[in-house]
Amino acid sequence: MLAQIMKYEWRNLQADRMPFAVAAILGLAIAYGAANGSNWVRFQQSNIDAALKEQSTRMSSIRAEMAKLNAGEKKVSAFADPRLPQSFGRNMGLHYVVMPPAPLGSLAVGQSDLQPYYFKVSTNSKETFVNNDEIENPVHLLAGRFDLAFAVLYLFPLVILAFSYNIVSAEKEAGTLALALSQPVGLGRLITAKVVLRAMFVFAVSILISVAGVAAGGAALSAEGALPRLLLWVGVTVLYGAFWFVLAIGMNALGRSSATNAMVLAGVWLLLVVIIPAVLNVAVKAMYPVPSRIELIQAIRVAGEESTREGSKLLARYMEDHPEMAPAGSSGSAPDFGTLLVALNDATERKVRPVLARFDHQLQQQQQFVERFRYVSPAIVAQSAIQDLAGSGTHRYQHFLAQVDAYHRRWRDYFVPRILRKQQLTGSDLDLLPQFTYQQEDNAAVMWRCTQALGSLCVPLILLGVPAMLALRRYRVAG
Amino acid sequence: MLEANQLSKSYNGTTALHPLNLKVEPGEVFCLLGANGAGKTTTINLFLNFIAPSSGMAAVGGMDVVKHPLESKRLLAYIPEQVMLYRNLTGLENLDYFTSLAGGKHTQNELRGFLEEAGLARADADKRVGAYSKGMRQKVGIAIAIAKKARALLLDEPTSGLDPKASNEFSQLLKKLSGDGAAILMATHDLFRAKETGSRCGIMKHGHLVATYATADLGHAELERIYLEHMHD
Repeated sequence: MLAQIMKYEWRNLQADRMPFAVAAILGLAIAYGAANGSNWVRFQQSNIDAALKEQSTRMSSIRAEMAKLNAGEKKVSAFADPRLPQSFGRNMGLHYVVMPPAPLGSLAVGQSDLQPYYFKVSTNSKETFVNNDEIENPVHLLAGRFDLAFAVLYLFPLVILAFSYNIVSAEKEAGTLALALSQPVGLGRLITAKVVLRAMFVFAVSILISVAGVAAGGAALSAEGALPRLLLWVGVTVLYGAFWFVLAIGMNALGRSSATNAMVLAGVWLLLVVIIPAVLNVAVKAMYPVPSRIELIQAIRVAGEESTREGSKLLARYMEDHPEMAPAGSSGSAPDFGTLLVALNDATERKVRPVLARFDHQLQQQQQFVERFRYVSPAIVAQSAIQDLAGSGTHRYQHFLAQVDAYHRRWRDYFVPRILRKQQLTGSDLDLLPQFTYQQEDNAAVMWRCTQALGSLCVPLILLGVPAMLALRRYRVAG
Repeated sequence: MLEANQLSKSYNGTTALHPLNLKVEPGEVFCLLGANGAGKTTTINLFLNFIAPSSGMAAVGGMDVVKHPLESKRLLAYIPEQVMLYRNLTGLENLDYFTSLAGGKHTQNELRGFLEEAGLARADADKRVGAYSKGMRQKVGIAIAIAKKARALLLDEPTSGLDPKASNEFSQLLKKLSGDGAAILMATHDLFRAKETGSRCGIMKHGHLVATYATADLGHAELERIYLEHMHD
């Protein structure tokens, strides 16, 4: 009987072209979003490739330069001498740390267009190259590109509501419901058939176009963990969509007119998708204000200047005491400028540390707050899960920053002792430079987080679904 | 077949239907007469379980419609004042859809046969219902009843707005169905049809069934006189 209901329901839908126009718009939006996401991934990848290429050309020319200098064919100032560890490690031989886009990066641009995905690591303090102080709040749902996640999180629910806001009310208004329910069929069964048909259609349009778009955009679907992630993405999308269907059923179960249903459902959409995330964003910033960026920059500058002043005092005293060590303008015999820089960096870092710590602490508080309160809207849960799966979320970025930090330490640990020993670098030292390899995020952890998200998307489904079913039992066709 | 036992309905303190006792046997056509708001539609909606009774019981084929909502509807057919079908489907498709809701499986030819039996012109079966007249839609309603072999029919002012010929055809169909053993409960304003097709008629006023008559005992004029007498307050 379900199949028979669906068959005629489909014919009725076909006659009413509006839902198909809406679905076509959704399809186009999804295709456009997927194309945008794929372009973004390609753009990131090409930047990374260019950076790494630049690094390898630079390294070859440094090797050539070193050979010439060693052979005495050329003379340069201390600042331009790659054999000096302070010059190499601080300026000439810098290495890139890069976070390549994740296999399913085209699913969601997320914050990845705001957060740098590559840095040039030097022996200087981390703040000089990680200008990561302007972190946009992860709840900042509205910001960003028109990507697939946007289409899924914003437009997909609207299309679902367009398909289902009057699923019962329209039939009641047209009078067909009375005739249908004078037959031995329950309202629940009738609605099930109608909803399943619509859901199959909307989900098929969304998921097929998304997957096709992402695959056509060159997503590495064969990469490790990519397919399970794609399946989880499908799960998140389906449960998120199911939420909106159940919401529409619940609204219809109240027995109001189609017009009222449309108004209320549009209002709920606005509330859950736009207002709550925005309010959460404002609330989190009000409750855990991050020290202003100006303050941070100021602190870094002041600390830098103070250290530099002390540094020049030190240098002046140093020169007075050891006039024979004054720079002779020849390579290889610079004064212990490198040592001073090491001290200077150290001092600056020490001074900036409390401000940075406060910054980090507040950011962490913000993120914890968001994690705790994201359950107020399924849109936020779905968004963070989708970003997680696409690798453009907070977790993967934190994971990257930790790797940057570790690599920065290795870089320093390599150069600082050489600077202090005034040990010149040779070609074989270059072979032993610390190399950065991006460590993939633990796939199991991502899967677990997203499975939890699936679970928490089920909660509103049940919280809404049970009362909706009860209301449907009391639904009166007349009177 | 249709039985109301102390059946009543009130909405927030206003009584739409005072305890009603009524039996319609197979082959009988019971016409409910009365002004608008007298409780005729309420009675029919109670039999359909579209509204819940405040007290008493409505039974179809001996089954309480509240306790056996689906089973009782297997026996029922309902023809409202306006048989509302899916405008974008043909008469045949509508019939197929609604009979399939009743669990019926019929071939196209059988379905066409039901429509023909209900008096719908052969060519009209494949036209979209949007282009149907009220009378044609009523015929599809009857065809649904024929297809599901309804044992009881609930009709709510089915002939209002039908032209005399269509109305007459409709009466003939009802006679045929009752002749086949269906119990028919029809709310109507049409005293003439009530006399023509009804075996009994009951007059309702302010939620009370105030009188019942066997139509065979009454002439047209007499029925009208009695009806009007009852309508005076």
